[in-house]
This record gives sequence, structure tokens and C-alpha cells, in this order.
Amino acid sequence: MNEIEVQYFAVLRERAGTSRETVQTAAATAAELYDELAARHDFGLPQAMLRVAVNDEFSEWSRPLVAGDRVVFIPPVAGG
Amino acid sequence: MGAFAFAGGPLEPERYRESLADPSAGGYASFEGWVRDHNEGRTVQRLEYEAFEPLGIAEGERIVAEAVARFGVTRAACVHRVGSLGIGELAVWVGVSAAHRGEAFAACRYIIDEVKHRVPIWKKEHYADGNSGWVNCERCAAAPRSGGPEDDHAHSHGPEHGHARTDDSARSTAPAPDYSRQIALPEVGAAGQARLAAASVLVVGAGGLGVPVLQYLAAAGIGRIGIVDGDVVEGSNLHRQPLYGTADLGRPKAAVAAERLRALNRDVRIETHAVRATPDNIDALVAGHDLIVECTDNFRAKFLVNDAALRAQKPAVFASVHQYEGQLQIYRPLPHWPCLRCLWPEAPRDGLVGNCAEAGVLGPVPATLGALQAMQALKRLLGLDAGESPSLVTVDLLSLETRRLAARRNPACDHENPGNAHHSDEQPLELEFETLAEAFESGLELVDIREAWERAHDPPGLQIPSHLPLSELVQGYAEFPAEGRYLIICAHGVRSLSLAEQLRSQGQAEVYSLRGGLAALRS
Repeated sequence: MNEIEVQYFAVLRERAGTSRETVQTAAATAAELYDELAARHDFGLPQAMLRVAVNDEFSEWSRPLVAGDRVVFIPPVAGG
Repeated sequence: MGAFAFAGGPLEPERYRESLADPSAGGYASFEGWVRDHNEGRTVQRLEYEAFEPLGIAEGERIVAEAVARFGVTRAACVHRVGSLGIGELAVWVGVSAAHRGEAFAACRYIIDEVKHRVPIWKKEHYADGNSGWVNCERCAAAPRSGGPEDDHAHSHGPEHGHARTDDSARSTAPAPDYSRQIALPEVGAAGQARLAAASVLVVGAGGLGVPVLQYLAAAGIGRIGIVDGDVVEGSNLHRQPLYGTADLGRPKAAVAAERLRALNRDVRIETHAVRATPDNIDALVAGHDLIVECTDNFRAKFLVNDAALRAQKPAVFASVHQYEGQLQIYRPLPHWPCLRCLWPEAPRDGLVGNCAEAGVLGPVPATLGALQAMQALKRLLGLDAGESPSLVTVDLLSLETRRLAARRNPACDHENPGNAHHSDEQPLELEFETLAEAFESGLELVDIREAWERAHDPPGLQIPSHLPLSELVQGYAEFPAEGRYLIICAHGVRSLSLAEQLRSQGQAEVYSLRGGLAALRS
């Protein structure tokens, strides 16, 4: 299990009810982590619509996670 | 002697100075311009000043009167030489008496700057090599001004055309802008100010983001600003668009914004395009500008601007907000630089993640992001962003956290052919009707996709029986009927267009969007 710091934006923040949380996870990649959290928080947004950033850099969903990673899930927003 | 005069012989500062004496004056400041022996690397032996005197005196007196009124000084005067002058001779004198030194210095500075800027005086330099040449007054070159005629009302202002309106009539009487606080920055200086004056920026969307962008760019002295916005001012806009007031309700935003910006800075040329950005007009709108600031509230327009910026190879600054958060991104036409599509290869559908109407927003959120956009634009124009690498910046106004996420060019994203020219040439996506009755008579089935709370405010007569809220469609709680011919309707024609486009792409041929939405019918 890795300890990962997760941050949410926009609709994901609303669904999760928090802008950040620390999770203990067995997820090996960013994609697996999203699946796990999407099920927990009922995100309803397909992963294809989002971007993930690991340690302040946009990353591939297949990127392996290591303990202490900071993961941010970002949906596009349009308001103005 | 009037407050402004020309003199054919040597100037007499002592005599002029006496004319400013007043018991209430606690100080006196003056400026003297002298003939120097060099200009731009050439040795000057003497020079000649020539003026168009009647006009020059009238304009000069106006400048002095402005200075007295603006800075509250006691008396002020200016005398300018004409004719032939030798090295070291006095070319111009300005004097101001005032209760306190601060106003005296400021008014003195104002007068000399404005005289150089506005009074028709030409200078001919005679060089040591025997040549001579007429020299432009320095400021005319840096900040082109036009005493141009009033708006040409012969232009068509129909909503279909990407026409431009400009109006410089307010210029001659308003005081000149004072950029001293930004010129004081070593990175800006007079050269930077001249760069801003020579620049042209297109602002797409004059709403929550666009308002601060327009205000700060106009105030900074951008030479020319184009405003694209097809909406009118609505009461629900004001909490986040305080450039407008209740007296403006129902008026086109572009026109109201232009009025306010002209009052803020008479030297900025404002062009208004009271239209929505479309695939047909976006390239023409972008042409002729150095930088685009994208301030709309929908993905459709954002990607439209992105693609046009890529085609024109121009920088564009994007921002968007959602409730308490915002995102900021800049595109630069550099080979390694990511565009909006690099980040979001699947152009998101409007309605999926909410807009300000659906999700709600506090005014300072778009204001903060808009101010950041203005800053990014100024940095780009001034060349202050040299060390900046591509990124998406997220701002959370609740936690006050900002995050800079490094972004990279997506090799699969074709910058040569942005968006793959996705607008097709088949049936038009949008239809236009004058009244709802006409729309009913069109034979299309009308479908209102607004949210229930939006429909609750409708006057009778604007009721559309068939209702499928977009939020339910995108969340999969409802499905759009696959068979039939439909006219999709929302408040302003943005969400309906997005949905029509999506249904078309799924093979549904006979779906249309009501252009401009119900707002277009009401007006």
C-alpha cells in the first residue's frame, strides 16, 4: 500500500466533498487510482475527459505511482 | 500673454515667471527644453521649429487649462520657440505655480508631455555633415493618435457580420493617460510603454473574465483593443461584471464596454464586434491583432479561438472558472508549446461541467482569473515571460492555493490542422427565427434544454412544452430522442449549439440550434 496525496478540482471536488485527501491505496497507476476513487465518490466523469498531474506535472494515466506522490485530477472548466 | 504662446525671438523665462506669481502660491516649478548638439548619433549644429500657430495656440491653451483643472494648480503657462535656434538656446519653457510642490511638478510634467504630443510643431535639424532633416516629435511615433472622425454610421451592424466599430470622438477633450507608475518599472520604461501603444489585442467575451481584462489592458495603454461579444447586459451579470450598471440592462455589452474604456483611456482605439465568435468569423476577427485573450464561458468558443490562434500563429491567453476555482493557460506559437487541444484532446462538451449560470460563481473568482489573463497578456507584449515554460495554472480561491502544472506538447495533436476543420459544410447547425411562433411554424419540434429553474422565470407566451434539461441529458438520466426533426433551445444559444453539434456528430442529421437562444427572440 502506498500513501498518496490526492487533490480534486471543480466537479470532482464537489462530488468528493473535499478538495484534498490522503489515501492508502494498492493502485499501481494513476488510472487505477482514479477508478478506485471514482467508485468511492461516485464521480460519474469518464477518465478520458480528465487530466491527471503527478507531482505538479501532467502525466500519462499509465504512470506508476510511488509512495508520497501528489496526484491531481483535473476536469476541464469553461465558466467565465 | 495667453497661457500658451509661440515666440519668434529668444525666450524670457524671468518675465514669464513673474506672470505666475500669486499670494496663494507656495511654490513654482518650471521646465526648460534646450537645443542639444546631437540626436540619434548625429551632431546637430542648429535647428528650426515651425508651427501651425492658430491650431497650436488653441491646443496649447487647452493643455494648460487641463493641467490647471487636473492638478489644482494656481497658474500655468507655456511658451514655445519657432524659427532658427542655435545649440544651448531655449526651445520651450513651462512654468507652474501652486500651493504645494507635488502638484506643481506634476502639472509641469503633464504640460510638456502633452505639448510634445499634441501641439503641431515640426523640428528641422541641421547636422554637422551639412545635411538636414525634419524630425517627428518623439511621442507621435510611439503612440499613434488620430483626431479621427466620429464613428462611420454607414457600417452595417447586423449580427451576422464581423464588422468593427471604432469611435475616437472622445479623444481630444479627455485628459491624457498617466502611465508614470508602470513606466517607473525598470522592465517597462518608455520603450515598454511604446510597445504596449503599438500592440493590438483581441478580447473574446466581455463577461466576468473579459471585464477585468479589458479594463487593465485599456488602462495600461494597449494601442488597439477589439471586443467580441454578442450578448446584452443582464441583471444577473452585474455581480461579476461591475464595468456595467443597471442603466445598461439590455444594451450590447461590446458597446457599453467600449464607452467605459474610452472614458478610462482616450488614447486606446476600441473596436467592437457585437457578434458571437463562430467558425465563419473567427479568423477574420483574429487577423490584425497581436494577441488574443479568450474570456468566454464555453468550450466551443475556447476551442474556436485556440484553433484560430494556431492557424494565425498568434499567442492566446485562456482562462475559465468554476465556482471557486479557475484555470489559466497561455498558448504561444512555438514548436514545443502545447495548445488547448494538447491538454484536452477530447474537446469537452458544454453542459457537462457546468457554467456560471448552472454552477454559480462569486464575482472575485472570474475577476482574479481575468486579472491574471491581463497580466499574462502584458508580460507577453513586454517580453517579460522569457523564463516561463508551458503550464496550466490552477487557482483555488477558497483555499488560496495556486498550482502550476507543467504541460507538454501532445505529439498526436496536429498544430498544422487544428481541430481538423471540424465544422462541416452540410446543413447549417443554427437556425434563426424572429418569434417563437415562427419557430413553431417551422415544422421542427421545439425542445427546451434549459434547467427547470430557468424556465420558472419565463413570461407566458415563451413556454415550450417539450423540456429536456441538459443536466439530465449529460448525466444520462434522460436521452435525446433519436428520431425526428428538432430545434433545440436554451437561453442564449450556446448550450443548444453544443448539443446540436454533438447530436450531429452522432449521426442525427435533423437537429438544429436556435441561434442566440430565447434572448434573441426577446430582443
